[in-house]
Amino acid sequence: MPTAHEKEKMVSQKLKCLGKEVNEMIDKKQGPFIELPVRTLTNVYFDPKSQTIKLGDKTSQRQFLNIAHTRKFMQTVLVASEINKLVEEKVNVSIRDLYYALKHTIEGTNENTFEEQSESDPVIEDLEASIDLLREELHLTATSKGIIVGDMKIKDGKDTIDLNKMGSGGWGVPSNVEPDRIEIKDLSADYILFIEKDAVWKRFNEDGYWKKNKCIIITGKGQPARAERRLVQRLNHEFKLPVYALMDADPWGMYIYSVIKQGSISLSYSEEKLATPATQYLGLTTKDVDTFKIPKEVTIKLTQLDIKRINEMKSYEWFKKKPWQEEFDRMKEKNYKLELEALSRKGIRFITQTYVPQKIESKDFLP
Amino acid sequence: MPDVPKEIAAEELFEEFKEHSVAEFFKKNKQMLGLSGKIRSITTIVHELVTNSLDAAEAARILPDLEVSIRQLGEEHYEIEAIDNGPGIPKKNVAQALGQLLAGTKFHRLVQQRGQQGIGVSGVILYSQMTSGKPIYVASGTNKESFELTISIDAKKNAPKIHSINELQKKFRGIRFKAEFKDVLYRKGEASPLEYLRRTALANPHVQIIFNSPDPAEGKIVFERASKVIPKLPLEVKPHPRGTSVDELLGMAKHTIARKTSTFLKTDLDRFGDNALKDLKKMITFDLEKDPKQLKWEEAEQVVKAFKVIQFIAPRTDVLRPITEERLEKSLKNIIEPEFFSVITRKPAVYRGYPFQVEVAVAFGGNAGRETAGVDEATGKQVRQTEIMRFANLTPLLFEGGACCITKAVKAVEWKRYGIKEFDNAPLTVLVNLISVHIPYTGAGKTAIADEDEIFEEMRLALMDAGRKIGRFISGKRNEKEKHEKKKLFLKYASEVAIGLNKLTGKPKDVIEKKLHAIVLKKLKLEEEELENGGIEQLKGKKEDLSEEAEGGEE
Repeated sequence: MPTAHEKEKMVSQKLKCLGKEVNEMIDKKQGPFIELPVRTLTNVYFDPKSQTIKLGDKTSQRQFLNIAHTRKFMQTVLVASEINKLVEEKVNVSIRDLYYALKHTIEGTNENTFEEQSESDPVIEDLEASIDLLREELHLTATSKGIIVGDMKIKDGKDTIDLNKMGSGGWGVPSNVEPDRIEIKDLSADYILFIEKDAVWKRFNEDGYWKKNKCIIITGKGQPARAERRLVQRLNHEFKLPVYALMDADPWGMYIYSVIKQGSISLSYSEEKLATPATQYLGLTTKDVDTFKIPKEVTIKLTQLDIKRINEMKSYEWFKKKPWQEEFDRMKEKNYKLELEALSRKGIRFITQTYVPQKIESKDFLP
Repeated sequence: MPDVPKEIAAEELFEEFKEHSVAEFFKKNKQMLGLSGKIRSITTIVHELVTNSLDAAEAARILPDLEVSIRQLGEEHYEIEAIDNGPGIPKKNVAQALGQLLAGTKFHRLVQQRGQQGIGVSGVILYSQMTSGKPIYVASGTNKESFELTISIDAKKNAPKIHSINELQKKFRGIRFKAEFKDVLYRKGEASPLEYLRRTALANPHVQIIFNSPDPAEGKIVFERASKVIPKLPLEVKPHPRGTSVDELLGMAKHTIARKTSTFLKTDLDRFGDNALKDLKKMITFDLEKDPKQLKWEEAEQVVKAFKVIQFIAPRTDVLRPITEERLEKSLKNIIEPEFFSVITRKPAVYRGYPFQVEVAVAFGGNAGRETAGVDEATGKQVRQTEIMRFANLTPLLFEGGACCITKAVKAVEWKRYGIKEFDNAPLTVLVNLISVHIPYTGAGKTAIADEDEIFEEMRLALMDAGRKIGRFISGKRNEKEKHEKKKLFLKYASEVAIGLNKLTGKPKDVIEKKLHAIVLKKLKLEEEELENGGIEQLKGKKEDLSEEAEGGEE
């Protein structure tokens, strides 16, 4: 593995090379462009070997002389120059910091280089994909929001944190969980429960579920940031812990599950470093409504958007397995979805005392 | 108990009727003659005076100079003066020409005529004396004599009454007409005398018009002559059998000099020859040797019915005198000064036996369109709205636009196709002139043209043709604008790109920026050339995008 210093040198070289190429085009009096991998559904594929989503080799040119590209071209050059500066100065900043560092009014106009962070974030991802490095390696950190508890210790720099003594709040997952930064020690757990929602995670923590059931519980509070996914991947790889996902029974929850398992389309270039293909879907499913006799009145009718999303997901390669196709069909046929909190109708602790233990015992998972 | 009304003897009633007949007729029918409503009346008065002057000048082959002045004397009380340089009226004819209502009415002439036949100036005189109680002033100068007179109309006798008449020492040529009017109101706008005169000048480029407005904000306005060519006189045609009604046929039969009905038909109708006569004989039950003056209604009816079936050659169409494309162009440049325009004069066509012809002008940008009160925030200029200018035989039609065939034809065109996104809100003037020996007005007011399929279709085709030309201009203009905006866009980002590259590679920012500028200019020039070579489609095809769809976003 290259050392941190070698990595920095490589990043700087790659970025300078990009700048040099653009300069050469300008010198040749050509409209300059930057060649970037296409990060859309059309250029991702499911790699059966790694069981993750991967980026294809389609590229497109971001051209300065194309009115649809020109602003993004300018932004890409600015982001590249700023990242190069960060790497050379060896400082870590958040992607939000980067956005503010580059945001300024373009001379002679009332237009800003970047109007919102949502303009700079995709450009960062483009560059990550293009030079095949993680943003952490570019000295950029994304804000993480996930929390985790369980019987294990974390060595973060000089500090050692005992994750079974975190009280009701849990340990906030830092944005960089790479092995050179975070070390996992003294782990004693049989599996990881990845919970979609913060409120449900709190129920599991308050009920001491992880103590009684010898597991680790983690939530990404909705769509998890990459740090939570990377940490779960490490726990899975390094300690061979199974991962069970506990999500709402709706297209959104199921998509989050697929991101944990195989990765997302927009970050497809780095999914080998983020995805955990061993993840299994514990619940909720629409089948559970019958199995656990959940009253119909706590279900929610599907919206037009839900149905559209279900149909899209049905066509994804990684959802082609029969149980998933059946689940989607059932959801459409019954025309409802279900939130995790709906289980509270059967009792506040139904989810921690009955539902999850029973599902794990019967191994009633979706692949 | 209600009062029992006192009975009035028939003789008494009839006496009253006779005394007031002409005046009563006039009062009851003035709305039909355009003299109802304070604002509309003042425009109608100007219209009558102007058409009279133009017709006289045209007949005498004189380049017309008109000066119309309106002065406010009190509330809803104005003096209107109209001066022309026409042939004038000889002293012996003046009383008859001006002072007898309906005097000018000739029997149904089929010729392209400007104004409203008949009621004309005498109606204006009667309206003046009815509202102001005063006679009107007229000065007339022919090449031989110059004199002035005050004249009114004796409503009882429907006869002119001259109050005073004097020789003038200073000789001149033309007519000076001056009269007072009450119950009228001058107001700016689309139906105002000023607008009427502006449009008259537009349709009659050989006319010079000066207008002195009672509104100090308008003051003196001059519409310069755009052409020194006096249009040829339109020719009169005989009625075509297809367009003849029973009533008209009997009217003609009464005035003919022919002794036999067959001769009458052959001489007094257009395109009625021996073949038609042969066909007609088979379809009627009476003898065509008969004296036409003895024709009965039923017999005339048979003839008219047969006319619908018999094959006739289309009427001659060379009798019409359009403004012509060349003169209309000059006129548009002179009066509207648009950025771009297109003018179409269609070939003559025929409806119901009458020859007609359609002329259309579409003007865009510049002073085209009607100025509104609104100001465009971006340009600081007054916002302009589309105006439709309707003309019949070169005479502006200002009222009842909604009922008019011209308005319907204009609205029937899909202007969006020609690059005009919102038809009502564009700097656009659409002018339509219908010329015919017989304009099919919707009513006696003669302000709107009736729907005739053939006329509607000719108008629509002409408008589409003109619209296409305007469309090409507008898209060209948009390209120009797009090019400018593209350049601005690229140059705007060039400096930022140079800043970034400077940081990344250490090359001087100014050098990079200069080179980028050159690249942008080269590219735009190349595109322009492609455009000129008809490569528009090619250019559009180049717009493949880096389509960055949002797909299940993360973070």
